[in-house]
Amino acid sequence: MVQLLFEDIFILQRIDPDGKKFDKVSRIEARSEQFDMYMQLDINTEIYPMRVGEKFTMVLAPTLNLDGTPDTGFYLPTNRKTLADKFEYVMHGKLYKISEDSSSGQTAKVEIYASFGGLLMMLKGDPSNASNFELDQRLFLLIRKV
Amino acid sequence: MARLEEKLRCTKEPYAEEAGSRRIKSILFSTLSGEEIQKSAEVQVWKSNIYDVTMKPVENGLLDQRMGAANKAGHCTTCHGGFTDCPGHFGYVKLALPVYNIGFFANDLDILKCICKNCSRILLADKARREFLRKMRSPRADATYKKNLVKIIRDKCKVACCPWCGYINGTVKKKAPLSIIHDFSKGLDTNVDEVRKALSHKRDKFSCTPLPAIDPLKILLLFKRMPDEDCELLNLYSRPENLMVTTLAVPPVTIRPSSLVSFSNSSNEDSITGILREIINTNSKLREHLEAGDPPYKCIDTLWAHLQIKVVEYINSESPSVPESTNRGLVQRLKGKQGRFRGNLSGKRVEYTGRTVISPDPNLKITEVAIPVLMAKVLTYPERVSNHNIEKLRERVRNGPTKHPGANFITLPDGTKLHLKYVDRKIAACELRPGYVVERHLEDGDIVLFNRQPSLHRMSIMSHRARIRPWRTLRFNESVCNPYNADFDGDEMNMHVPQTEEARTEALMLMGVQNNLCTPKNGDILVASTQDFLTTSFLITRKDTFYDRPTFSLLCSYLGDAMEAIDLPTPALIKPIELWTGKQVFSVLVRPNAQTRVFLNLTVKEKIYKKNETMCPADGWVYFRNSELISGQLGKATLGNGNKAGLYSVLLRDYNAHAAASCMNRLAKFSARWIGNHGFSIGIDDIQPGERLNEQKSSKINEGYKKCDELITSYSEGQLTLQPGSDAAETLEQQITNVLNKIREGAGDVCMAELHWRNSPLIMSQCGSKGSPINISQMVACVGQQSVGGKRAPNGFIDRTLPHFPVNSKTPAAKGFVANSFYTGLTPTEFFFHTMGGREGLVDTAVKTAETGYMSRRLMKGLEDLAVYYDQTVRNASGGIVQFIYGDDGMDPAKMEGKDGVPLNLDQLFMKVMATCPHQDQGVLSPSEILKMTEERLSRLDTSPEGGCSGGFVKLLRDFVNKRVTLWKNTRRSLNLDEECLENKASCPEERVAANISGISAKQLQVFLETCTSRYQLKKVEGGAAVGAIGAQSIGEPGTQMTLKTFHFAGVASMNVTLGVPRIKEIINAAKNISTPIITATLLSDRDLLLARIVKSSIEKTVLGEVANRIRVVVKSGQPYVSVLLDMERIDSLHMKISADAVQQSILKHPKIKLKAEHVRVIRNDKLKIYAPEVDRSKLQYELHTIKCMLPKVIVKGIPTAERVVISEEKGVYKLAVEGTNLLAVMGTPGIDGCKTKSNHVMEVQRTLGIEAARQCIINEILYTMNSHGMSIDIRHMMLLADLMTYKGEILGITRFGITKMKDSVLMLASFEKTAEHLFNASYSGREDQIEGVSECIIMGIPMLLGTGMLKVRQRLDSIPEFKYQPDPIIS
Repeated sequence: MVQLLFEDIFILQRIDPDGKKFDKVSRIEARSEQFDMYMQLDINTEIYPMRVGEKFTMVLAPTLNLDGTPDTGFYLPTNRKTLADKFEYVMHGKLYKISEDSSSGQTAKVEIYASFGGLLMMLKGDPSNASNFELDQRLFLLIRKV
Repeated sequence: MARLEEKLRCTKEPYAEEAGSRRIKSILFSTLSGEEIQKSAEVQVWKSNIYDVTMKPVENGLLDQRMGAANKAGHCTTCHGGFTDCPGHFGYVKLALPVYNIGFFANDLDILKCICKNCSRILLADKARREFLRKMRSPRADATYKKNLVKIIRDKCKVACCPWCGYINGTVKKKAPLSIIHDFSKGLDTNVDEVRKALSHKRDKFSCTPLPAIDPLKILLLFKRMPDEDCELLNLYSRPENLMVTTLAVPPVTIRPSSLVSFSNSSNEDSITGILREIINTNSKLREHLEAGDPPYKCIDTLWAHLQIKVVEYINSESPSVPESTNRGLVQRLKGKQGRFRGNLSGKRVEYTGRTVISPDPNLKITEVAIPVLMAKVLTYPERVSNHNIEKLRERVRNGPTKHPGANFITLPDGTKLHLKYVDRKIAACELRPGYVVERHLEDGDIVLFNRQPSLHRMSIMSHRARIRPWRTLRFNESVCNPYNADFDGDEMNMHVPQTEEARTEALMLMGVQNNLCTPKNGDILVASTQDFLTTSFLITRKDTFYDRPTFSLLCSYLGDAMEAIDLPTPALIKPIELWTGKQVFSVLVRPNAQTRVFLNLTVKEKIYKKNETMCPADGWVYFRNSELISGQLGKATLGNGNKAGLYSVLLRDYNAHAAASCMNRLAKFSARWIGNHGFSIGIDDIQPGERLNEQKSSKINEGYKKCDELITSYSEGQLTLQPGSDAAETLEQQITNVLNKIREGAGDVCMAELHWRNSPLIMSQCGSKGSPINISQMVACVGQQSVGGKRAPNGFIDRTLPHFPVNSKTPAAKGFVANSFYTGLTPTEFFFHTMGGREGLVDTAVKTAETGYMSRRLMKGLEDLAVYYDQTVRNASGGIVQFIYGDDGMDPAKMEGKDGVPLNLDQLFMKVMATCPHQDQGVLSPSEILKMTEERLSRLDTSPEGGCSGGFVKLLRDFVNKRVTLWKNTRRSLNLDEECLENKASCPEERVAANISGISAKQLQVFLETCTSRYQLKKVEGGAAVGAIGAQSIGEPGTQMTLKTFHFAGVASMNVTLGVPRIKEIINAAKNISTPIITATLLSDRDLLLARIVKSSIEKTVLGEVANRIRVVVKSGQPYVSVLLDMERIDSLHMKISADAVQQSILKHPKIKLKAEHVRVIRNDKLKIYAPEVDRSKLQYELHTIKCMLPKVIVKGIPTAERVVISEEKGVYKLAVEGTNLLAVMGTPGIDGCKTKSNHVMEVQRTLGIEAARQCIINEILYTMNSHGMSIDIRHMMLLADLMTYKGEILGITRFGITKMKDSVLMLASFEKTAEHLFNASYSGREDQIEGVSECIIMGIPMLLGTGMLKVRQRLDSIPEFKYQPDPIIS
């Protein structure tokens, strides 16, 4: 079975907080229900439009193989069943930075950054949620609206 | 016949250093005596006609065939050589009477001043003579010392009575050009008066000075009698009579060729021949008269004078004694840019070159240059036939000179040369044998040198590999435009083909493009992507570029010539559809496949960057991690030149030149193809402002105009608050200029915000490929203020700029503010103002080029011979040490990675190490472990000063590690972990997170420290590096780019300092008077404004006129006087502490007012009465008036040279800026911290604080000037320049005077300036040139003794003694 790195349901709070800069890509701000994580994510809204207030499940997985065999790094599209089948929007990228954010209050938060070919994700929350992540990890981001 | 075989060395032959005794070791300059000239000559020339009736050169004429062949048809009868073989032979003319040699005329005069005009001995007593002789002979005496000694001797020789024979000597003077008189009028001889008395009753006026003139004949006799020791005293190398011309050498015919005019019996003669002919004519007439025994004063004097003038003209036709000569004398042949020295000896004409128009070709590699076939067929390379290439060369020979990969000549081993046009090529090809040399056409891969003038730095000539292509232009990759400063608007470039294997190797290794990617000016990358390549990268890395599989694959195929394997990455978007992003294209570009082991790690802030690092909303933070583009839209900062943290710099430093070059090649190819399909153009709609933009612009302009009006009103009402150190008009100007500049800036900002992102000019300005926001705003919104000389448009009419405006109008429009844009069009007045600004720019560029060119030349001549030796010292050609270690740390500026000449960019390096060697499962180190390990590493030999590691670098490294440790501690603290000891990873998830955030593993730290130290050691400057020449180029080249901005605020408004080229010129000239001397003084208690004011008033020059209420003449009963009433209120408010007594003292001290104490009476504390000194009544009024006029200018307080003092404030710290000189007095003023007081006047610093302070001052001032023009130059270059200027103990400017004192070489000085003067002086004192410097070696045509010429390879020729396995037998 796939060992998911993270799974939660988010509520989209804002789109393009700094103004719309790109035609096809928007930056969304979302907050999760279960772990109270804050997320910024670039999404290709041309092919996957999103609106404020929508709820969606987001999953971060190290591989798409359902049996949990690790990703080889080479992408070979096949007809096999994958984890992606259950989701509407799937991105592949790399975790490039983990940092701590001690600016807000005493409880330190950890920020996890990933880049999906230039589409960035920033996930901020409690350190305990970050222990599964490793630097330079290949990540699949899967989204499904609920 | 022996001479016939000894051919002239041909410059064409490749240089092969001759072994042993044949090298020119030194050149001795001296004078030849008449006999010597006669002996070395082949023929006496005395006939004035040149050709006879059959147009054959006359014997003993000027073109006598014994002196060489006169033209191609001629033939030398001395050596039997033709025009090309015979080097020529000298002839001589014996002069009937001696004449002056104009070059030595001043020397003749000086010698005459020192010797007795009766007995020819020197006018020194024996003791003094011996003493001076001893000093002169001292082995430590160098040329300058001797020169000064002679000056002292000359002063000592000003005695009337000869100590040897008692003859009364008068003074020797030069009267009229070319005549020397012996003036007795001031002599002590009393007889003269008697004679004068005796003659006084005579009616005819006799001149009673006996024999005033000394003619050359007399001088010659005097000189001949001088003893040798006396000559030595006067620093004469050879006999003084050689300074006079008795026999004239006639130069060989070859240097003054004669050309026959076809079909007529006349010829065109060289001007030397012409002058010589006149000399011979005059000489023979003179001889006839002499032999006839005519009375001397009749015509002999005129003939003699004529002969003299002709001989002068022969040597120097520009001499003032020669009336309007049209001929070129010998000196004229040598001097000047086209003269022998600079035109033919220092720079020579070469073969195997080409020149044509250049054009771009992105499909070429950066190391390549496309050469047209037409050119390739003319330019050849002599390839020696061997068994390996014989078939290839046979093919070439068969192709011949007309078909491209062909050949032009074959040289056989015996030296015969066959032109392939005239032989049977098939036979020639068959007969080709190893050892033959085939001059084959240029082919792909040959090495050529490529150059564009002006060659301002060494990257202006680089070696490329040839690619033979059709058409007619030279083509190269646009990435290489920068080092050549080339564009394609019709530029032409030159090309040279090295002709030997050695030359090719050296060119490839030292001058190859791939080895010159960086400029030694500051280590910035110079060969980098430009223009379209940047635009492409910018557009393709936009966040919203997505490609599907076919398009992405197509883009990947653009990268190369289908020769490279490409690994397609996983698409960024997998669902709903497969999509790749543009950034992934770039990741592929950097690392196309898994075999390419390039892991690029860097972060760059682009121009568009706003906030939040990688999460920047504008995507301006470029982050590459292990060759994957994580974030950021690429632009000039990443890919362009002039950024040390850029992509190519990092590739070059972390990997090698090849990695950087291949990346550039890929981008060039990709870009050309991509943008060709995508299309990128600009049209009128790109600069059409929108509705909103127009509105905002007009509101901004109205606002600004309103503000200006307010300012003008308050100015005319006199209510403007003045800025420190300026008057009302200046303040108004400054404030209006500020407001107007803000209008344009504001308009620009609006433009940048309002324009659509697809707007081409906007894209170009954002990615940095071309244009700036100002350019866009000028096109779209508002052109802005036009300035002339840094001010608003000046008044060309009376009190107004143009007659279209009211008198004295100061409104923006009337002073050259252009509110329109180029799109809307300018009004006539605006247009006129715009042309004024434009014209200034053009004039400035034209003037600047000449000025900086000369500056560069001087710098080069001054620094050319400085090189690093193998003991790390920097020395000049004669071995004198200029620096003990280059730039204080022995680092090569070209290899510096960090900003401001720091060897390594530790942040980037650390990031790379962390990314390329992840710690994964290895444990991370605790803070104390990290520190321990670092200290351990830093205590080893290669990081100690003995191991060649500077203390500064070790400190840098240690500080960096400490910073990391603090970061690590902070992370641990914020995650509630123990700062020191680590817990088990498995048990504590926080520990894992912390390690991922900023943990360092042992392996990582070790790799980091090892990389740092090993890379540092590789960055040392190499032995033989010509650091001088590079330094000169690095300072000279930026000079050409310095823009108009000549003035700048020195911290305080209204205080200007000279900047730009004029300032650099001042510094390197070591000017005595600089245009804006400023002393920056620090106060002892620098937060006290009152103290600052008091100190200011005690420094600033204050004149009586400024502190006096009134100064008036009082004429009452009794003695009239001038009364002075001091303005005590003002004095107190400025804390000046001036009393009437002090004023009295100041008046008395004034040099021009010659008054005594009793004339200046103090009446009250604030009142003085000044009476005129006793003169008669009539003049009294006048006298008092003069005093009254002079009094206001009497300096009552302050330093007379301190014109103005301005208090500047920065963060509550007050400083004084003193406009003026006298550093010593300022430092000594109470309240000033003398230790922290600086001046920008180099010479004054030297006078006050000494030579070391002056050196630092030179460095600081050049640095400041360069920095304020936004140019970064490695400090090591400036150090070297400053050291050169100061190493003799006094400041020597890089001018003709300074350089003369720095260098010993005559040839070098002669090739610099004042050619003839240096040569004459050298031969007078018998200077010897050792041929060690760069200029001399170039002149002699031998390799110079620096760089690769510094060391010689020696081979042992005698057989190595055989190793014996047992001792020699005792009995053999």
